[in-house]
Parts: sequence; C-alpha cells; structure tokens
Amino acid sequence: MTNSIAEKRRQQEDEDDEEDGDLEGWGERNYTDERSWEALQEDESGLLRPIDNKAMYHAQYRRRLRSLSAASNSHRIQKGLIRFLYIVLDLSRAASVMDFRPSRMAVVAKNAEAFIREFFDQNPLSQIALVTIKDGVAHSLTELGGSPESHIKALMAKLECSGDSSLQNALDHVHEYLDQIPSYGHREVLILYSALTSCDPGDIMETIQKCKKSKIRCSVIGLSAEMFICKHLCQETGGLYSVALDESHFKDLILEHAPPPPAIAEFAIANLIKMGFPQRAAEGSISICSCHKESKVGEGYICPRCKARVCELPTECCICGLTLVSSPHLARSYHHLFPIAPFDEVKPSCHNEPHLKSQKTCFGCQQSLVNPGNKPSLHVACPNCKQYFCLDCDIYIHESLHNCPGSQILGSTDKAVEQSLDHTNRANLHALKKDVQKEFKDHMHHMDCNFCNDMYFHYGCTPNL
Amino acid sequence: MKFPIEDVTVYFPYDHIYPEQYSYMVELKRALDAKGHCLLEMPTGTGKTIALLSLITSYTLSKPQGAIKLIYCTRTVHEMEKTLAELKLLHDYQVKHLGPAAKILAIGLSSRKNLCVNRAVLESANRDSVDAACRRRTASWVRALAAENPDVETCEFYENYERAASGAVLPPGVYTLQDLRAFGKEKGWCPYFLARHMVQLANVVVYSYQYLLDPKVAGIISKEMQKESVVVFDEAHNIDNVCIEALSVSVRRQTLDGASRNISSMEQEIKRFKATDANRLRDEYKRLVNGLALSGNLADSDSWLSNPALPDDILKEAVPGNIRRAEHFLHVLRRLLQYLTVRLDTENVEKESPISFVASINNQAGIDQKTLKFCYDRLHSLMLTLEITDTSEFLHVQTICDFATLVGTYSRGFSIIIEPFDERMPHIPDPVLQLSCHDASLAIKPVFDRFQSVVITSGTLSPIDLYPRLLNFHPVVSRSFKMSLTRDCICPMVLTRGSDQLPVSTKFDMRSDPGVVRNYGKLLVEMVSIVPDGIVCFFVSYSYMDGIINTWNESGILKEIMQHKLVFIETQDVVETTLALDNYRRACDCGRGAVFFSVARGKVAEGIDFDRHYGRLVIMFGVPFQYTLSKILLARLEYLRDTFQIKEGDFLTFDALRQAAQCVGRVIRSKADYGMMIFADKRYSRHDKRSKLPGWILSHLRDAHLNLSTDMALHIAREFLRKMAQPYDKTGSSNKKTLLSQEDLEKMGDSSRDEMFFTHHLELAQKSAVGDVRTPFMLDLKASFQVNL
Repeated sequence: MTNSIAEKRRQQEDEDDEEDGDLEGWGERNYTDERSWEALQEDESGLLRPIDNKAMYHAQYRRRLRSLSAASNSHRIQKGLIRFLYIVLDLSRAASVMDFRPSRMAVVAKNAEAFIREFFDQNPLSQIALVTIKDGVAHSLTELGGSPESHIKALMAKLECSGDSSLQNALDHVHEYLDQIPSYGHREVLILYSALTSCDPGDIMETIQKCKKSKIRCSVIGLSAEMFICKHLCQETGGLYSVALDESHFKDLILEHAPPPPAIAEFAIANLIKMGFPQRAAEGSISICSCHKESKVGEGYICPRCKARVCELPTECCICGLTLVSSPHLARSYHHLFPIAPFDEVKPSCHNEPHLKSQKTCFGCQQSLVNPGNKPSLHVACPNCKQYFCLDCDIYIHESLHNCPGSQILGSTDKAVEQSLDHTNRANLHALKKDVQKEFKDHMHHMDCNFCNDMYFHYGCTPNL
Repeated sequence: MKFPIEDVTVYFPYDHIYPEQYSYMVELKRALDAKGHCLLEMPTGTGKTIALLSLITSYTLSKPQGAIKLIYCTRTVHEMEKTLAELKLLHDYQVKHLGPAAKILAIGLSSRKNLCVNRAVLESANRDSVDAACRRRTASWVRALAAENPDVETCEFYENYERAASGAVLPPGVYTLQDLRAFGKEKGWCPYFLARHMVQLANVVVYSYQYLLDPKVAGIISKEMQKESVVVFDEAHNIDNVCIEALSVSVRRQTLDGASRNISSMEQEIKRFKATDANRLRDEYKRLVNGLALSGNLADSDSWLSNPALPDDILKEAVPGNIRRAEHFLHVLRRLLQYLTVRLDTENVEKESPISFVASINNQAGIDQKTLKFCYDRLHSLMLTLEITDTSEFLHVQTICDFATLVGTYSRGFSIIIEPFDERMPHIPDPVLQLSCHDASLAIKPVFDRFQSVVITSGTLSPIDLYPRLLNFHPVVSRSFKMSLTRDCICPMVLTRGSDQLPVSTKFDMRSDPGVVRNYGKLLVEMVSIVPDGIVCFFVSYSYMDGIINTWNESGILKEIMQHKLVFIETQDVVETTLALDNYRRACDCGRGAVFFSVARGKVAEGIDFDRHYGRLVIMFGVPFQYTLSKILLARLEYLRDTFQIKEGDFLTFDALRQAAQCVGRVIRSKADYGMMIFADKRYSRHDKRSKLPGWILSHLRDAHLNLSTDMALHIAREFLRKMAQPYDKTGSSNKKTLLSQEDLEKMGDSSRDEMFFTHHLELAQKSAVGDVRTPFMLDLKASFQVNL
C-alpha cells in the first residue's frame, strides 16, 4: 500500500521535473515578455507546454515564398530595382492605443526605422519619402531621398498623434508626388495603418482608381483588424495587405516589403538610365557640399558631370540632376533578379529510399535532422543539389544568403556563376568550398565580404562592375 | 464530381464537397427511401440548397420508374432566383454527363407582378393592382366582350397563349423568372399563365410558401400536384408562424367600412343585372341548388389538395337556402357586419372561443354556423357571376367572408380576441377583432397528408424536437449538422457583466435601470473602436430601442459612437429602412465604418444579410422574448399547453432563442467569412437558454466565453480579429479535411464515412467535458506563473 503511494508520488515528481525542464527553456527566452502565459497550451495529457510555433512560422514562410515564386514561374522575373516608396504613417488618435507596448505609434516608428535601414540595404538605388496622417490631413515629413539617416531623424522628431485618419487624403497627397516620377522608377506606397476608419472628404473609390491608373502599388499593414477598404485598395493596385498579430509579426510583415516586388507587366519596359559613378573625394580635401550647403572636410563624392560634391550615395545630384550611385549599390540589387528556387519539403517517407538514407544532418549547419525521439523533424531539400537543410538554414539561405551552398560546391562547372566572379571572390569561393560546412557550423553568417562588408556570397561585389 | 450514396449515383456540379453536405445528402436519401418527412438543420453558407437539389434530382434520375416531382418553397423572390440559378448549374452538369436523358423542366412561379410582360399592366405600382389590371384584360367575359367590340382592351400575350392552346408548352430546361419573361416575350405568350399551366408538368417547381400553405391560393395553384412529390421548405425556422398567419384574420373599423361599401356596390350591380340580364342570376341560383361542387369553378376530382378552409363536407353539401339568392346573401353579410360593428364598440378586452362566438352571432344576428361556413365560396361565386374583375377593390368584403368561413368551420385551435386599443398606446382607440389561429398544424396538415416526403430545412431549427410537436407530424429523420471549418471563423460570446462588473439584462425589472443602459452603451462604444467596418446591433423591440437610443443620446454615448462609426437605425417604414441600409453598406464600403441598430423579429433580422465586412460583429442586446402581455400570445400558449403539452416557458424560450440565433446568424453567410456574435444578457449564460441555440453556434461557444465582462470581451475580440485577418489555406490541413474531392470520397468506405462523423462528434463532446474539469487547474497554474514571473 505505502509502496504504491510512494511510487505514485515519485511519478508525480518525475512529471513535475519534466515540466520544470521544459519551462526553464521558454521562461528564460520570454522573460521580458509580459504576456508569456499566452505562449502556453495544454497538451493531450493536460500538461502545459509552450506552443510550438516553429512549424507554424515555417509554414507561413513557405507560403510566402511559394506565392512569390508563383508570381514568377518563368525562371527570370523582372523586378523593379529602382523604387520610389512613400511610407505613410498613420498618426491619428488610434495610434496612441496601447495594445502594442508602449504604444502603436512607438512600435510603428521603431520598426519603420529598421525597415528604412533594411530597405536601403537591399535597394540601394531606391528612394523613400515619409508622409504622416494626422487630424485627417496628410503631411510630407521628408521628401524623396536616399539617405536613411535623414528619414529616421525626421521620423523620430515628430512623434505625436491626434485626430482622425483619412486614407483618401493620404493617397491623394502621395499621388501628386508619385505621378511625376519618371517611368523607369517603380511607384509604391506602404501604409502603416493604425486606425479602423477612414474619414474622407470625397469618394475614395475614385482615388483608388486614380492610383491604379498611375500604376502606384499600394500596400497596407494594419495594426488591429482587417478593413475592407484597405483590402480593396491593395487588390486593385496589386499590393499586399496584412495585419499584424503582435510586434514581432509586425516586424516580419514590414520587412517583407524590403525586397523589390515583381514589376508590373505592362510597366516593365527595358529602359536605359543615365547614371554617374562619382569618385570619392580625397581625404582631407575641403569643399562646399551641395546637399547641406556648408563646407565639409573629406568623406564626400564628386559628381562626374558637374563636379559638385555630395555627402552620400546613392542620390541625385542637386546641381545637374544626375543619378549618382556606386557600383556595389548596383551589385547588391543584383541578387533579386536571380533568386534561388524554393526548397522542397521532404516527406518522412522519402527516408526509406536508399541513396538518401545517409543524409541525417543538415548540409548547412551540420545539425542532426533527427529529433531526440528518433522522429525525423521537418526539413527541406534543394531541388538543384538535392542536399537536405534544416528549417533555420532554409530561411537563412533564402532571406539573407541568396545562394545555396550545396549548389555552389556541386555546380563549380556552372560557367555563368564562375564568370561573374572576379578572381578575389573566386578565391573566396574556393576557400569556401573547402570549409563552407565548417563555417556554417561555427557561426552561421560571419564571413564578411572584403568589399561590401556584407554577407559573403555577394559575388557581384566587384569594384569594377 | 459524381459519387454513389448507397444505390444512388449523385451528380454534384462542383469538384469538391463539404463533409457536412455529404452527410446531409445521406440523411436526405434515407428519408426519401422511407417515403417520410424529415427535419434537417444545417448552417447557412454550407451549400444546403445545392446539396438538396443535386440529391433529389439524382435520386429521380436513378429511379426512372417513379418520377418524383420536387416542389421547392422559398420565402422570397430573391431566394427563388438563387435556387433556380443553382439548379441551372446542376442541370447543365447533369446533361453534360448523362446526355439529353437527364433533361428536366424546372420553373419558378411568382405573382403576376414578377412575371408579367405586358407594359400597360406593369405600370401599376403594387401587386394587387397588377393583378387587377391583368384580370381586367383576361377575364372570360371581358374577352367575350372584346370579340364583339374591338375597342375593349385585352392582353395580346394572353390571347396568343390561349390561341396556342395545348401547343403552348415550355421545352425542357431550367427557367428563372427572368428566363420565363424572356421566353414569353419571344413567343408572345403570357409567361404567368404559361408557368401556371406548366406547374402541373414540371419536374421541379420553385415558388413561395403561400402557394402551398395559404388555403385560398393553394386551392388554385397546387391542387393537382401528384402525390409522389418531395416538398421542401427552405429557411423554414418560422414555418409555424407562416402557417398561423395563413389562417388568422384581423378585422378593424376600416375593414368593416370598406366591406359595407363593397356590399353597396354589389347591390347596385345586382340591380343592374336584374334589369338587363336576369338569367345569369337565375342560372347561378340553380347551380347553387345543385351544390357547390358542381358549380363549375371547382373541378370535381378527388385528387385535390384538400383545403383546410373547406372541409370535405362543404364540397358535398349544397349551399344553404338562405344565401342562395344574391340579395339574400348580401343581407346576411350586412347583418354580420352590423354584429361585428357592435362587437368592436366594446370598452374592454374580450376573448372568446369560436363556439361561443358563433352562438352569439346566431342569437343576435340570426346567422347559423352552416351559413357562415359557406360565406367564402358564396362570395366567390357571386363575384364571378357579377363579372367583377377589380378584385383588389373588394379585399375588405373578402376578408369578412374569410373570417366568417373560418369561424364557422373550426371550433378548436382558434380564439377571437377583441381589443379596444393597442396595449402600448391606451389613449388612441383602435379597436381590432382578431381571429387568431393557435395551431400551426392545421394549415400544414394537408401538405403532410398529401405528399410523400416533406423536407423542412433551415440554418436554425433548434431545438429540433420541438418542430414535430408544433406541426404535429412524425419525421423519419431529424438531424442537425455542424459546420466543418478550416478555422474558427465564428466567435460567439456571452456577455453577462458590464465594465463595472454589474450584471446586464433586458429583464423587465432591470431594463430601465440606468446602470444597465450605461453598460450596454459602454460596450458598444468600446466595440466600435476595435471592430472594423460594419457592426449590427439587435434590440428586443422598437420601444426598447427608442428608449435606449434616447438615453444614449442624452448621456453623450451616441456622440462617442459617432466618432468612430456612423449610426443607422431601422424604422417601421420600409422605404426609410431600405435607404438606411443602403447608406450603411456604402459607409462600410468606403471605410468610414457604420453601426446598424435593428430590432429582432423586424424586417432586417429576417431577410437582410450582413455578410463579410457588412457585419463583423453582431450584438444581441437582451433576449428577444415576445411581448408576453399580448392576448394573442397568451391564448396561443394556453392552447399549446393544453393540446401539445408544451410548457409556456419552454415555448417562449424556444421562440426567443430562435430569433436570437436568426439575428446573429445574419453575420456569417459562407465559410470564407468571419464574424463575432455577442449575446449581451446574463440570462444567456444559463444552460436552459443557451442549450437552445443551434449546434453550429454552440460548438464554437467555448466555456471560457460564457460569462464575460466588457473588458474581457474586448480582449477576445481584438485577438480574434487579428487572427482572422491572417491568410489561411482554404482546403484545411490533412488531418482535418474540410473539402472532400472525389478521391477522398472513394477512399472512405461507406461504413468508415459514418464513423468519421460520429467520432468527430464524440471528440467534441469529450473535449468540452474535459475542458470543464480542467479549468480550475489551468487557472491555478496561470496564477502561479504570474507570481513567479
């Protein structure tokens, strides 16, 4: 009798221990998140477990990837590399709601900042402008420009909200500016919408049609719930509509807009654009900068046509209007045109095939693909090199690396790739071939390119491109 | 896709089928096999209509020896058109797969107003005057006159149709009202009479409830339908009320005045006839002596749909002597009118049974029961004799005769209630004499008796065991189906407390409490700020809505609401309401957002859909009980208790909850849609109320959502709206299929299919049971976590 009770107790303790073991993991992770209890769910036996979001997130990510590649079934898509993006921030009354901490407005601003940096990183040839909606009126915060710092500074300086919000006014305001953009530029609007209503002075449907006619791609990220008019706007103009669940989701959603979208078909005529590649001014030379109208020492670029000095690249020359870029900028825009194919999900049954049986580790990070319980976890295979990758590597390869390490090693005969590499990078790649796997394992993304200080596979990063 | 259900191959026009559609078909098939009646509840938006149509037509196709006719009854013309459009799609599919052998004739039948193609007739504004204008051109004596005198106006379409005689038939196919009109125009035939003629021959007939339930209309339209028919009543949750209304008559002062005018003009007509054409009246008299059954306008065949208003004996008996002569009949009517006028002049509310009422008529006006019973037919005959085409002018005297016939025929199931004024406005005298029917089974009885299978189906038929008792029949199948959803797209909540944690309710002693009104207002103010686009609010009555809106206006709550959304209100005026609805939709479209205030049991609650962004949230303020002091309701309750052993409370709750379910059900019309439902009354949390909601709402009503206060509801709403805004896979994940393809159906054997649904229900039941037990444990743990963190 006593024996059995003792045994029961022991079992219970065991169970408790198990639970503790589980809880430690997530407890530490989410310590600062004050809604940590929402990340719990009850399993079949009534124990509490952290919700396994990984599979869900991955499914969402794959859907995104698929929808992106579905739009471009042919293996080469045209993409708008030169984008003119207006970011509209809704600073109406609804932006002060505190369901995001500390407030929607602060979260929007914080993530807009991250987005602006990421955007210029991925689209060095593009320009951004900021517009705010307040008291039912739209104001320009900054004009179109290529400098992240000036946008961020302006954004952070003006954070207060009041009044209603008007989608129509914002669109009209943006339309006025975007309509004058030359035809090679891609016109886009990204609206970060906190409010759930839109108090408009006229018929918004007309404005939407106007935007559609001017080929302005409007995307909206909502902060609280789905609104019909936003959905309609995005559908009409070919943009994306999404609603954020929480802050991290909001960040994901906004960063989704950083890579260039596929170009609108009838808009994507090949166009030659005149560009200047300015030389860097000599160290210590003093000249009057044309953008700030003050004298500066060193650290500048000189327009090849009119010899004016500008502080930052890329930009348009204030004097002669020439687009000024540097070659790494061009190169960095390059990889969007040659995306790697989405990886195929591997069905657990495929493991029975003999030739694949040996692959039990991820080709990227060398982590085991088999879960502790000898259950194979979800993983994917590259359609090109047939190597297996874990989900983390899948996301990393598609979103940051833009190159499949397996294909790089196997496909050394791929002349197109080889030829686009200059000797330095080729050397790099050869080095990589040897220890790419080790590199992956040690630190997933810490091998910097000599030229662009960026991830290491930017084989276009040549100074003389 | 096509798939077998037992021995029937079902042709289904879509590539995928919902699991519940499949099980719906299985149940329906069994009911048809058993040649019995059935009750099927399945939520709207799951494709009830197409499931029904494809099964029944496929059933007929697979059993060529006994062709079954389908009679499909809808509530509105709009629904009729939708049904026919679905049928067209199905028919095309079947013809494609089976060849011309599958061809059927399907038509919709509606009033002249919807079918007429004669421009001159269509100029008339309302239904009654269109009818009258048509009769003025097509009545037999008018046409006879026109043959002699070409100046008399006739309808060319009708003339063409008559000339074509038996050649005027519709080729097989599916005809919507639109198609019928187009066909009629092309051929030059009158679509209305053509359709009425083709009703007997068609394989599928779609028309309104009234054509089958209202004894006056049914006698003309539906009398020759074959016995081997399947009758479907769609959206039939209010069928008992339709039945009752078909047999209830109310008489007001205006009715009596109008009837007396009608009688005077008939007297003049009679005088005129006597002078010019005395033979006609004499012929009629002779005919009446021989009995009504032979009087020509009634076909003498025993395969009739027996008319509840005309019991069998009336057909065999001769018309009583005192009303055979036209003048005598009019005298009798005058005496009846006088008697009714005296009765209307009462100061008090009076309630009487038909027996004592008839006795008192006999005493005071000298009209016996038998005479009363024949009034309806005698009037009909007289109007034919007098060649009266303007039937719409004679509505009043028709009402009186209906009343007389009903009161003379039935001794049970009715009562006569005389009220000198409206309860709610005691200062305005508005006497009304109502003959109210309490027994819904009377009107529908002939339908059940006559037809092989009657299918009663709707999105809300809960509790499903009450309908057979109310309608007095024995279904062979009664089932309620749940919706299989890829995501939880409805979110019902029971809100019991306001933001100050005090209970909210529209109970009589609480409804005027300013705290409750304020709490309701606060709830709406909070909700308008977090719900996008459209919100619909239902109140229990017009007077309550007026009161609460007034209070909100005074306390500034209305202003706060208007900051977020525009406010629209339903009124008793149809035009105003239509305009309000139209503007409401526009406000939802353009992103301004709007709130619609409406009343349960009103027009909006019954017929208007608030799907997609037109209704993201519906709030039901209070429990929509009927006005329990109404004399008619009390009489009906008493009758139900005595006859069917249905307790008053049970019936009232059932009726209130089906109205509530109907209101909140407006918000979701398809699976891709989503919406929230808030039941704002503490009484909804009680089991006896809640359990009467339809299963598809109950299965989404989580235990945690049963006793919410405003702030908790807000939190849930926010989460729900965010979740629903995310993209999703329409076919559902692999383990929980919500769309079945042909392969899926073939994969599962017959037996396993049933098991699947069965186990699914079991699982649900278990889950909820488990949830009950665990809740405290969960809460404890959560609390301890919070402390730890």
